[in-house]
Amino acid sequence: MQKIFGFAWRGKSGVTQWEKGTMSLLKGAASGEQPMAGWLEGEPMYTDRQLVIRHTVPTNGLSFAGTIDVMNADQVASALISQLDQGLPLHLELSRVEFSDVSGIRAFVLAAECADARNRIVLHGLPSLLQRVITVVGWADLPGLEICSCSAG
Amino acid sequence: MLYRGTANFLHHAVPFIRDGLDAGEPVLVLTAVSRIDALRAELRGDAGQVQFADMAQAGSNPARIIPLWQEFIDRGSKDGRPVRGIGEPIWPERSPAELAECQWHESLLNLAIDPATPIWLLCPYDASALEAGVVAEAHRSHPLVTEGDHRRESGAFRGLGGSAEPFSVPLPAAPLGCRSLAFGPADLATVRATVAAFAAQAGLKAERKDELIAAAHEVACNSVQHGGGGGELRLWRDHRSVICEFSDHGRVDDPMIGRRRPSARSAGGRGLWLANHMCDLVQIRTLPQGTVVRLHKRL
Ligand SMILES: [Zn+2]
Repeated sequence: MQKIFGFAWRGKSGVTQWEKGTMSLLKGAASGEQPMAGWLEGEPMYTDRQLVIRHTVPTNGLSFAGTIDVMNADQVASALISQLDQGLPLHLELSRVEFSDVSGIRAFVLAAECADARNRIVLHGLPSLLQRVITVVGWADLPGLEICSCSAG
Repeated sequence: MLYRGTANFLHHAVPFIRDGLDAGEPVLVLTAVSRIDALRAELRGDAGQVQFADMAQAGSNPARIIPLWQEFIDRGSKDGRPVRGIGEPIWPERSPAELAECQWHESLLNLAIDPATPIWLLCPYDASALEAGVVAEAHRSHPLVTEGDHRRESGAFRGLGGSAEPFSVPLPAAPLGCRSLAFGPADLATVRATVAAFAAQAGLKAERKDELIAAAHEVACNSVQHGGGGGELRLWRDHRSVICEFSDHGRVDDPMIGRRRPSARSAGGRGLWLANHMCDLVQIRTLPQGTVVRLHKRL
């Protein structure tokens, strides 16, 4: 993983604030307000009432905090695909995904199917249950989708 | 195949396995560890050619058994070569709900495997340990019965045409006064929170609770998408499990739902497959008035 120093623009809005009162499900290994060590967050590129996606450093990365399900899976797929045309792997920081259903995972799969060898999608900090779900439903070995070893369990 | 005790099991199973090995056929045995050990001892050096799996693990949820046979057939009979297997999903300690699903599995197996598939499948029933009603149901779900040294057609077999009948036999009613919640498209988060709270209160630990929530969410999504826009959630527990039931006004036409391994490219059909792998037991019934899906997660 890249390490970046002296990077100051870390957005700090109440990403997880509204979630706290309602529920906290399927917490990732490193849930909380901070992304995993080594990641810095920039501006939000997508927000809805259950999810915030931000630009990150490492460059060409996105961080996810909240819930991905049938309610926002289409928007997530579009957001991912919009970041694919840069000829680089797209790195996703997922340690604060509290819940994702099969249609949410399918958003990653759809984007991965649009990716090629140069701009494949790399999942970081994937919560262990999601990792199992991806395997059970038969999406663990897609060529465009890589699960980084920093993911839990 | 009806047998009485381990010696009698071996008397039937060993020649069946040896015939397969002599003909160069792949052989898969899914049964209890104690019977696997007895078979290994009896087969000696030939045991290495037989694939064994502990049914208590692999088939704990009986809905996971058909995919195992399917994969075995796909791997083993590529060139049209016959394969053979022994599958014993029913033992006396099965709970009533598990037993019902095992019996449904045994009947569905007639439909799941194309009749043209070159497979010999032996389904042992320990008549010395199982109740008479279980043996009677085995006669309804199997075309051929071997008892003692006689093989005969089962007069009670419901036929291929009737093999899906158990799919529309209602489940025992949910207990009166259990927690219930009507839900629609906007209520999926509430469904998850309700299941989470009930499961936590019942004592399900974090990981197993999250597995139940993941399954429950997918079933609720099915109700929203295919069941008339929503349904009713009911939650209760018995001495061994948390039970989470979804009922809606949709109908399921495919009795194999949740038992076909999804391919990487298929779009849908993953929800109940996932449920079968996240839960200890999944009961699905489709009736004229709608569909019921019951998820069981052991405490
Ligand atoms: Zn990583």
